[in-house]
Amino acid sequence: MRSDVANTVKPALSGSAVAIAQEDGKLKAVELRRREGGFEVLWAKSSEGDDRNLGVFAVECGLSVGPIGRTEKDGDRMVVVGFGSAGVAFYRISAPAVKEKEIEALVKLQAETRLPLPSEQVEIAWRAGRIHDNEMTVTIAAGRRERLQEFVENVRGLKPGKILLDCEGIVKAWRTFFGGNASPTDAVIVSMGVRSTQVCLAEDGQLSNAAVLDTGVDDLSGEEPGAEQTETTEGFVQDMRSVLELFGYAEPDELPVFVLSSGSEAINGVVSSLVSAGLDARVAEPLSKELGVAGEIGAEELYEYRVPIGLALMRLESEAELNIFGRLYRPSGEEKKRHWLYSPKVACAVAAVMLVMLVIVSYAVDAASPGAIEKRLNTSVSDADMSLLVQRQKLIRTVATERPDLLELLDLVNSGGSKGVLLDGLQFKKGQPVSITGQADNPDMLYKFQESLLTKNGIKQVEIQNATKDPKGDKFKFTITFHYKNFTKKGTAK
Amino acid sequence: MLERLSQRDKRAFKIGAICVVGVVAFVFGTKWIGHWAQVRRSLAEVKAKLETISVDNTKQAAVASIVPVFEMPQKEETQKFLFRNKLNEQLKKAGINSKPLQVLPAGKPTQDGYRLLRLKCNGKCRFGQLLDFLARLNENSYLVGIEEMRVKCDPKNRQEVELDLTVSTFVK
Repeated sequence: MRSDVANTVKPALSGSAVAIAQEDGKLKAVELRRREGGFEVLWAKSSEGDDRNLGVFAVECGLSVGPIGRTEKDGDRMVVVGFGSAGVAFYRISAPAVKEKEIEALVKLQAETRLPLPSEQVEIAWRAGRIHDNEMTVTIAAGRRERLQEFVENVRGLKPGKILLDCEGIVKAWRTFFGGNASPTDAVIVSMGVRSTQVCLAEDGQLSNAAVLDTGVDDLSGEEPGAEQTETTEGFVQDMRSVLELFGYAEPDELPVFVLSSGSEAINGVVSSLVSAGLDARVAEPLSKELGVAGEIGAEELYEYRVPIGLALMRLESEAELNIFGRLYRPSGEEKKRHWLYSPKVACAVAAVMLVMLVIVSYAVDAASPGAIEKRLNTSVSDADMSLLVQRQKLIRTVATERPDLLELLDLVNSGGSKGVLLDGLQFKKGQPVSITGQADNPDMLYKFQESLLTKNGIKQVEIQNATKDPKGDKFKFTITFHYKNFTKKGTAK
Repeated sequence: MLERLSQRDKRAFKIGAICVVGVVAFVFGTKWIGHWAQVRRSLAEVKAKLETISVDNTKQAAVASIVPVFEMPQKEETQKFLFRNKLNEQLKKAGINSKPLQVLPAGKPTQDGYRLLRLKCNGKCRFGQLLDFLARLNENSYLVGIEEMRVKCDPKNRQEVELDLTVSTFVK
């Protein structure tokens, strides 16, 4: 059954919030905006019973869905999505009233000891509560990361500005539209659905614990107010007692219990049962005067849309929430605030200043260097000495290139000889090949000698100029020429 | 007053200011860059001067092994005697019997502005004495290099060698 409170979805209006929540198997959405002295529900919409496709529902609500991002038709309305609290565990710890960073560290340490899963599988959010005797109450909400991640992927297409816990919306709605602001700030709020009941503990008007019971209005309907309690009702009352104990209130009348109602008989009957069981239970009915467009939205609709209305209120009032999705989802356009040092403008300015400094320093160094070097030189040596020193160095280098090491040459030639080769003479002249004369027993010895010379470092182009057999004996007389380093090349002699 | 200006006026002011800054930067910047270039040239000259006297240690060691001692060249009249005496001393020290050393006329000036004067010697010695002489030749602080060397063994006694040597020195 589709229920449109306002018959048509109105175009986006400035400064409004659209909230979507799932309750009793239905998707429910409202658009809320501020008006003078209160708020105004622009429209409210719920999906068909089996229609749980969030994307389709969002499109029906006039929201853009998909990777393109928010479009003009979204205007400046903020979208917020509610997450069912059934899979979220709440813990309350006491911590010394210290700085926020220190509390964060404390919370992490304490949460790790209490969580049933390893910390890397869990996402947590925390909120500091009241301070008493320098001790602070801290509420911790923890959820399985995998499930939260799955939910984020499901709603990412909507690009919501926030993902909030449903139970926070219930507490907010109670405070604003069900007379919560006029009630004690510490109370238990019971929000009954068709087949389940959300029980929230509010401290100082803020959610500090929550539990879900699997008994709803449908399970308890048919009970006559004041009639003898059935097994279901007794079970519900017992569950409520257990929840109160879980919340840390062992005495049943220690805390007022507000059961949100649209005035239905079934809920009145539940309240009577709770009162009979000794609980300080009261009916909390909507105060429609708080809402505008009173003619269009009645108490019943206000009750039906209490969760999305509460979520939209939180978004409009920018109320600090238990942001359990903080690490998993970052709304587009909301960049993490960075230190000013990371600003590109600052980086560019610093780079520009550095560049200017580099140029100035380079210039200063260049300008000062010649003078400084000459001054240093002048203090060490006079100008005349300096030029003499330069001249001497140049000359020494020239001489070094002019001196062949003839001892090395003789050694090379001598070591190249072998048995059967006798050397008679050697002639070296700059600019001409070195010439050696000698005798060999046979041509093979001569060739070996030639090859041996070729292997020597600095000796090149070894040529046998002539090899003739000595008419007086058996030996071969020979002349070999070769080049030695650069000294024997043409143009070396001066 | 600024509030009364239109966006167009403000833009014109900004562009005007940028142009003024640009002109000033151009006028002074070009002069400054010119001066900097001049400074860099003089720095390069000084560095080149420094490089001639400060040589890499390895290179310095290599040069020192070839030229362990060196005296700056004197005028020809002085240098030729200094060189001849030192060479004669070295020949005697090695035990080489040399004929009188013959001074060859100096040639044209080299790149360094010095002329090369050659000294020729002939003699007979044992091969070992020749090796001793060559080993100590670098200790002659006037020597530039060996221009020519001819060694010939005596066929009857192969330890005896006939030596023709031409060495050079720089003169002013």
